[in-house]
Amino acid sequence: MSATLNHRGADLVAPDPGAPDGSAAEVFAAMKAPPRSLWSDAWRQFRRHELAVGGLMVLSLVGLSVAIGPEIIGYDPEQIDFAAKNLSPTLAHPMGTDALGRDQLIRVLVGGRTSLAVALASVGIAITVGVAVGAIAGYSGGVVDNLLMRVVDLFYSMPGLFVVILLLALVGPGFWTIVLAIGVLRWMGTARLVRASFLSLKEMEFVEAARAIGASGPRIVVRHILPNALSPIIVAATLGIAGAILTESALSFLGLGFQPPQATWGRMLEEAQSVVINQGHWWRGFFPGLMIFLTVLSVNYVGDGLRDAVDPRRLRR
Amino acid sequence: MGRYVVRRTLQAIPLLIGISGFGFLLLQMTPGGPLAVAESSLVTSADMQRLRDKYGLDDPLYVQYLNWAADLARGDWGTSFNTGRPVIEMIWDRIPTTLTLTGLAFLITLLISVPVGILAATKQYSIFDYLSTSIAFLGISVPSFWLGLILLYVFTFTLGWLPSIGLSDPRQDHEGMAALWDRVRHLIMPVTVLALASTASLTRYLRAAILDVVAQDYVRTARAKGLSERIVIGVHALRNSAIPIVTVLALELPDLFIGAVITESIFAIPGMGRLFVESANLRDYPVLMGILMIASVLVIISNLVADVVYGAIDPRISYP
Repeated sequence: MSATLNHRGADLVAPDPGAPDGSAAEVFAAMKAPPRSLWSDAWRQFRRHELAVGGLMVLSLVGLSVAIGPEIIGYDPEQIDFAAKNLSPTLAHPMGTDALGRDQLIRVLVGGRTSLAVALASVGIAITVGVAVGAIAGYSGGVVDNLLMRVVDLFYSMPGLFVVILLLALVGPGFWTIVLAIGVLRWMGTARLVRASFLSLKEMEFVEAARAIGASGPRIVVRHILPNALSPIIVAATLGIAGAILTESALSFLGLGFQPPQATWGRMLEEAQSVVINQGHWWRGFFPGLMIFLTVLSVNYVGDGLRDAVDPRRLRR
Repeated sequence: MGRYVVRRTLQAIPLLIGISGFGFLLLQMTPGGPLAVAESSLVTSADMQRLRDKYGLDDPLYVQYLNWAADLARGDWGTSFNTGRPVIEMIWDRIPTTLTLTGLAFLITLLISVPVGILAATKQYSIFDYLSTSIAFLGISVPSFWLGLILLYVFTFTLGWLPSIGLSDPRQDHEGMAALWDRVRHLIMPVTVLALASTASLTRYLRAAILDVVAQDYVRTARAKGLSERIVIGVHALRNSAIPIVTVLALELPDLFIGAVITESIFAIPGMGRLFVESANLRDYPVLMGILMIASVLVIISNLVADVVYGAIDPRISYP
């Protein structure tokens, strides 16, 4: 992650908006110190946020175990074993088993793949749409801007979860339906952010310079303005992942997301509902929910740390 | 000001047309059309054609939309595919329950987050600030359905203190105070779950907003001229924090309403949110559209109220 950030940082050094603003000591220090890119600065800053670093570690752990865990453990998430049904957590089944004797740990890990994939894909869609709309609106201004912002208003006036549920009820659940339904309602914030940065950035001298040497509009947008508007987009994307995970699991919990036998964290909670309440098999609901909670919490901490790290207004303590 | 309110209200009309048009288009996009659910081997093709004629499904799309919108405006929201009852009646039955739930949750959110936010901001970096921000962070990250399940396990299954589902005990015919107590016991967990997320996010927001105000020059001036801390905070800072507080409170209402969809499903409470989810599972489109329109109106009104109140209490803002 940091490697790619640093690489992109190479383009960013020239038009640094957070250039030192003046005191003699600052200028002197800047002359002596080796040049630092925005992203290495951000990483330095990010590491000071202990909870964010902790969150990043938990996330890596969750990602890793979800990615390779099922291969290592090696048994089938749909393996039915009536001899081992409804077991509370033991060493052989650290998260217990369900009414069909299926191992919960393996189901949680496999389910995590779907939950995380949905979250990443829907945020990818939301960010792409948001950046495109925001960039076009902010760069063009005038009628186009006005029109696009009215569309943003329209989507903002929609009661999110209701529309997603309606969409799923109409089209029927499926991986890409769920991804689209979640993504379609999460791009507006990014669009407003990007538009605002573009409005101010397009008046800057380096944009004028690029235009003076004959760069085309799309080139100016993509090569010169967008890299400078990147940090709030990254923060929004990170925090968006938390929201997307919660939305997907809520939908599955309501029985409108993924259908059995597909395991996702939300679906496992839905299946667990009655056995937890009526039979007290707490492990059925506790562990899938814990995974959602831990992941969302970590994502939120990472997002918080990123926001502090890339916001030039924050004092560098 | 008055002109501004009128203008904003008028602006809501194209928004509502946009949303209803969006919903209407979605309905038409359903695989097999809106009547797909009615199709089965028991229904003859002549019957299907009669249904298509009855609902005007062979008319051009814009005619269908105009008919539907005109009916909506006259209060005819169609009849449920599932129960055959008028949609408006079904929704009307459920509204009081949802209003009770969201109203109580809103009240609790208000009573907790405002003082906690103020205290955390004025005593920045204190233990109280640290604790409340940490708890708020947990609160925005916890999935409400998981929390609900944990509460049900602890207080209903293990301890047996609180009833698990619904709004009242059907086995007992309570009256007077006993009925009220029964209702309260049924509402404790749902209201807690619903209020938690909004309390957490509101506390975080208020703390940040008040910290912003406290950093302003006029607060420094008030301190510099020797006013006591009580007056600096209580008069100069808090009065100015009222603006963001009122705005976010108004914007919190639709979130609570949306949160009620999940809460009502966890605790099997017969409110509008549960009706929506049930209708979605049954593909009962008239009911879905009706509730969607109500929820959209609520969002639009909340946005409007937030903007108008913002202008009314902040003299720096003038409306053209």
